[in-house]
Amino acid sequence: MAGLEDGREWAYRVDPYGFERPDDFDYASYEAFFSRYLVVLTRRAIKWSKLLKGKNSIQKSLKDMNRTFPDNVKFRRTADPCLQQTLYNVLVAYGHHNKAVGYCQGMNFIAGYLILITKNEEESFWLLDALIGRILPDYYSPAMVGLKTDQEVLGELVKMKVPAVAELMERHGVMWTLVVSRWFICLFIDILPVETVLRIWDCLFYEGSKIIFRVALTLIKQHQAFILEATNFPDICDKFKQITKGVMGGQLD
Amino acid sequence: MEAIWLYQFRLIVIGDSTVGKSCLIRRFTEGRFAQISDPTVGVDFFSRLVEIEPGKRIKLQIWDTAGQERFRSITRAYYRNSVGGLLLFDITNRRSFQNVHEWLEETKVHVQPYQIVFVLVGHKCDLDTQRQVTRHEAEKLAAAYGMKYIETSARDAINVEKAFTDLTRDIYELVKRGEISIQEGWEGVKSGFVPNVVHSSEEVVKSDRRCLC
Repeated sequence: MAGLEDGREWAYRVDPYGFERPDDFDYASYEAFFSRYLVVLTRRAIKWSKLLKGKNSIQKSLKDMNRTFPDNVKFRRTADPCLQQTLYNVLVAYGHHNKAVGYCQGMNFIAGYLILITKNEEESFWLLDALIGRILPDYYSPAMVGLKTDQEVLGELVKMKVPAVAELMERHGVMWTLVVSRWFICLFIDILPVETVLRIWDCLFYEGSKIIFRVALTLIKQHQAFILEATNFPDICDKFKQITKGVMGGQLD
Repeated sequence: MEAIWLYQFRLIVIGDSTVGKSCLIRRFTEGRFAQISDPTVGVDFFSRLVEIEPGKRIKLQIWDTAGQERFRSITRAYYRNSVGGLLLFDITNRRSFQNVHEWLEETKVHVQPYQIVFVLVGHKCDLDTQRQVTRHEAEKLAAAYGMKYIETSARDAINVEKAFTDLTRDIYELVKRGEISIQEGWEGVKSGFVPNVVHSSEEVVKSDRRCLC
């Protein structure tokens, strides 16, 4: 590590984000970490470039490019650069990478958000892989077993935590899939304001899928009185649509 | 406020992804058309009252479903309690027409012992220059399955009202003749004798209480 000894010049003292490193910065551990991490990054970069080259049936099912965030200026066909192409690349690559899942509607919204935040195709891809491959197993696979299971679990949790709402749903025969599918599949995109969604995603990446239950239970609990005003099936559906129309921003700390 | 309605019918709208299911329903229930519509994930719900004869109102509960195949594991739970259905294909997309048969098979399996009265809908008829399915062959297919055929456009509001009201009327006739009956534990048809509070989005609302017995 001789280079580090005289490497205390300016370039070393400032990290890639522009922050100055403290005097006691552990360069040895940092180098050790980075030499291992570089291997991972290189492997990913190689994988990514391979994925972009392949072509298969995934492309045929990708009809949702111009149906993803049509209100967002960066996703308009006339935008420069147009994120529709980036989105397309990420989803096609994911389809190659995870053939068991391929493409599932809903993934377009999640990948779209990741692209808006990271502004980077490859990073979006790996974050999407973390969500779909690891954090939310079987949510988007053809049988959607994970998704269906978790919706049932939410039903059970509501029975315990907000019994009056559970009783209302049961009395009118409202299935949970009807009112919460979008919450689970789109991870609260278009359900809650974007800042709130990103805060939830931070927790989701860090703590796992239990965060979805916490958010869902919070939404239901906070609006319990409002939901309980419903006296029939359509009313219940309507209430659930209303509680998530952006009025919730900032209340989920 | 109380709405007076004779019956409540549950209808389901199915068909391939991007044929225009959500747009058709929104045109019918909200009178609006969006050039671009989000893909539906899972199932969505809408409702509206229709008047099939002067003074005779039917309350429609309409189920919008995701078109992508894998969502069928969720949407098929909704077939059983539907009395009627609109099976959509896009007249500019031959594939969506070829899949009509598969959709019918799929519902048949999951609706037993009940039956769904279907109408075949050739959607996006405003795009006639890009047509890939002729009216004649669609009519032939519909007839083979004992369905009616209608062509609609949500964008130009062509036949949207008619598609829903004709189907409602046909179901009403079947109910009147006793070929479809109200059954305990089945939500397809419900009688409106019990006063029900109206859904806020419904347009025809009567404030005076009236017994329909």
